[in-house]
Amino acid sequence: MTTISKEHSDRLYWLGRYTERAFITMKTIQNLYDKMLDRKNAYEDFLRYFGISDIYGSNETFMKSFLYDGSNANSVAYSLERSYDNGIVLREEISTESLSFLQLAKDTLAKSESSRNTRLSLLSLEDQMYAFWGCLNEHIYNDEIRNIIYIGKTIERLDLYIRMEYPFDITRKEYIRLMKNLERAPKGTPYRYNTANYSELVKIMENEEKYRQNSEKVIGCLEHLFEPMEVTV
Amino acid sequence: MKMLNFSFSTKLTFDDYVHDHSFALRIIPPDTESQKILSCSLNISPSVTTKQTVDAFGNNVTAGYIQGDHRFLDFEIKGTAEVDSSKHSSFLMPCYLYQSEYTAPDEELIDFYAELKDKNIGYVSDRAAFFSDILSDIIEYKKGATTTATTAAEAFALRSGVCQDFSHILISLLRMDGIPARYIAGLAFCDGETHSWVEYWTGDHWEGIDPANNCPVNDDYLVISMGRDFHDCAIDRGVMFGRYTQQLQLVRSVLT
Amino acid sequence: MTQQNTEQFTKAVGNANEINELLRRYGVKFGIYKNGVFNEQFFPFDPIPRVISSEDFKSIEKGLVQRVNALNEFLFDIYHEKNIVRDGIIPEIFIYISKGYLAQCEGITPKNRIYSHISGIDLVQAKDGEWYILEDNLRIPSGASYPLIARELTRIAAPEAFSENEIVDNRNYAQLLKETMEYANCGGIRAILTPGRYNAAYFEHSYLAEHTGSVLVQNDELFVEDNILYQRTYSGGKTRIGVLYRRIADEYLDPLNFLPESLIGIPNLMEVYRSGNVGIINAIGNGVADDKGIYYFVPKMIKYYLGEEPILKNASTYLPFYEEDMKYAMDNLEKLVIKDVAEAGGYGVVFGSDLTREKLEEFRRTIIAEPRRFIAQEVIDFLDLPILDNGETIMRKADLLAFVLSGETTRVWTSGLTRFSRNPDSFVVNSSQGGGFKDTWVLK
Repeated sequence: MTTISKEHSDRLYWLGRYTERAFITMKTIQNLYDKMLDRKNAYEDFLRYFGISDIYGSNETFMKSFLYDGSNANSVAYSLERSYDNGIVLREEISTESLSFLQLAKDTLAKSESSRNTRLSLLSLEDQMYAFWGCLNEHIYNDEIRNIIYIGKTIERLDLYIRMEYPFDITRKEYIRLMKNLERAPKGTPYRYNTANYSELVKIMENEEKYRQNSEKVIGCLEHLFEPMEVTV
Repeated sequence: MKMLNFSFSTKLTFDDYVHDHSFALRIIPPDTESQKILSCSLNISPSVTTKQTVDAFGNNVTAGYIQGDHRFLDFEIKGTAEVDSSKHSSFLMPCYLYQSEYTAPDEELIDFYAELKDKNIGYVSDRAAFFSDILSDIIEYKKGATTTATTAAEAFALRSGVCQDFSHILISLLRMDGIPARYIAGLAFCDGETHSWVEYWTGDHWEGIDPANNCPVNDDYLVISMGRDFHDCAIDRGVMFGRYTQQLQLVRSVLT
Repeated sequence: MTQQNTEQFTKAVGNANEINELLRRYGVKFGIYKNGVFNEQFFPFDPIPRVISSEDFKSIEKGLVQRVNALNEFLFDIYHEKNIVRDGIIPEIFIYISKGYLAQCEGITPKNRIYSHISGIDLVQAKDGEWYILEDNLRIPSGASYPLIARELTRIAAPEAFSENEIVDNRNYAQLLKETMEYANCGGIRAILTPGRYNAAYFEHSYLAEHTGSVLVQNDELFVEDNILYQRTYSGGKTRIGVLYRRIADEYLDPLNFLPESLIGIPNLMEVYRSGNVGIINAIGNGVADDKGIYYFVPKMIKYYLGEEPILKNASTYLPFYEEDMKYAMDNLEKLVIKDVAEAGGYGVVFGSDLTREKLEEFRRTIIAEPRRFIAQEVIDFLDLPILDNGETIMRKADLLAFVLSGETTRVWTSGLTRFSRNPDSFVVNSSQGGGFKDTWVLK
């Protein structure tokens, strides 16, 4: 089936973004957990990246909130729920099998809250998320569909890497990946880039120096990458 | 027999742009036993391709879709017809015997009918004329008291209404009386708008009666659409998207 | 099938939790509104299968094909010549007072003259082994996806049960459905129209779309142009839809022809349908044939249209519309079940035995005032089925919703949805009334 409706293309894009956000948030929290063994309140870095004020006070409260609290829009639970919300209306595109991994991931996360060893319990969540991507790749025959999900995934990753001040070389690798994905989007579809923001992005990502000076602009470019160009008459 | 020139136009104006506008018009008069459409042209603006079908009640339906932004929809028919009200259609859909959305009576209307039913003994046409007489005595023709959504029961409770309401009440009474009846939307020598009247089944054929004017239908009546009630006969219906808050409709009809 | 065999099956299928865990994993849910809030519930699965012998099912199958063929003939007749009324088999009033009769459909002949492509026929087995038809659903019968996915999972959880017993594989439903859709296709892609994510049966809509290779659509991505139904694509193009399996009730389907306030319909869909440019599954206006008042006449229809004796029995039914039946109903109300013909989904069903004297009297008056609104039926002594409840076997009432697909031929899906009531005294087994389901095994 080669038809993709506007509504489903949006869903595919956001499925990619939220699934990736859930995954990276989870991985980041795992790293923080490790750091916190040596340094108290190591989570403050994380809050600073996202401009969130510290109302948590302790490692434990922070962890609980950013892993399990569905009302915290930056939590794994929240992103996973949004990812599932998008996935459930895409069953015929991504398959019941793929969707089942999101359900499993949600269940695993919920169970993890009461487990004795948080990091160990998160390992199977990690497995399930990887399995989701593998399964998705197996089941999608339409490259256009896959590409929209991956555009969402890569944009999310790039956005988070920049905010979390990842080194330039790692960030640039993701940028190149995004460029390849964008090239694959057929002309006339919404995931063909917006020329002005695209050129700006290309200019800034050229070298590390420009990137250091303009990383906030990159975030802006990504945010508006698919907005239709203004037509001046 | 009479030749009629007819024209009818509607201007729909919105206070903001609308798009994805689907519409269905029941505006092209059908050929029936009592009327022959010799010519009829339809103009729609903005220009749009349309398709014609004939619905279950025998009406011509013109369906169209305008995707892009627009602020108005105008349509106009012009044509000539040969009307002969001494000829009658003799095809009966049984559903016309049963009450419909607009004609279902409430207790008051049922009681009204119960009081009335034994006061006239005669043929179907006598009873229809009798009901129409009574209605013209007790219902006041008044614009603005009712809307296109008003049912027979509601209009009867108000004891006032326009041609549409007279038709619905009469149809309701006729159906309670076991006489199949249908709603007619059309043009007549009345005013610059569309008119409505009723046809009842004599047992053999359809016969027209105009309850709003309390008179039989003659060669000066042009049928545009027919059905169980107003719902089946609306001249124009549409579904559109946009931020408009109101629409304005101007209607003009001429019959000569 | 002996009792011992059933127990053996049960052991093999194992623990209900395991299967329910798998069902959960695959998102087998149905939505339910409680106090205006949407909740998704997992549809509880009972591991003890219902087993139907090959011989028994063959006779059910014959009876169902016969019944659905007659109902299709009836629908064609009602929307055209109305011979069955003219010949005095069914009083006219039962047709035109039915909410399911849509005058707008007069004269429309769907492709290949098929009106009910997917019929859900509700059966129960009485203690004496006889099968009875409880009701017909020719509008939007729902629930085939549950036994379909359950079978997939029980085969994983209890392989021995399937290798050691001769059970007909029922996983061909999607294929049957796809063929049925293709047969009704008027040129274009296959689509399943859902009212959306918050519909009770959304799981089913999306599952069937996935397994029939159809697109799952909502009304806002569809439009009608030049009497063709299109899906709007994300690149600004359009794709023609040739067959629409709609999971939206008739009255919401086209705001320009039915309820103007419907926000989930497709304007002018009716014009496309009338022009023969789209197949609609099931046809619009089928409600006239599965009306509880018309149910009484189905055996007569079978004789009238097919010249055959009905193979499957109706429950003994009385129409208070007829004087004789009214008298019987009045004299025996306390032992009858009364159904409001306007209600569906297990609502509007009253057992005379549940009513107090005053309520019975009150109900008698209601029936006398509106004889056409009710039917009265003898209560069938259901054969109870075993249900596993915390490791113990208990007995509960159950029905069988059989699915009959009409395409080039009329075929019965060799399975069905067996639903049971959780409440021991309840005869109502509808899923919206809080029950569970079982796998239905038809033996080879």
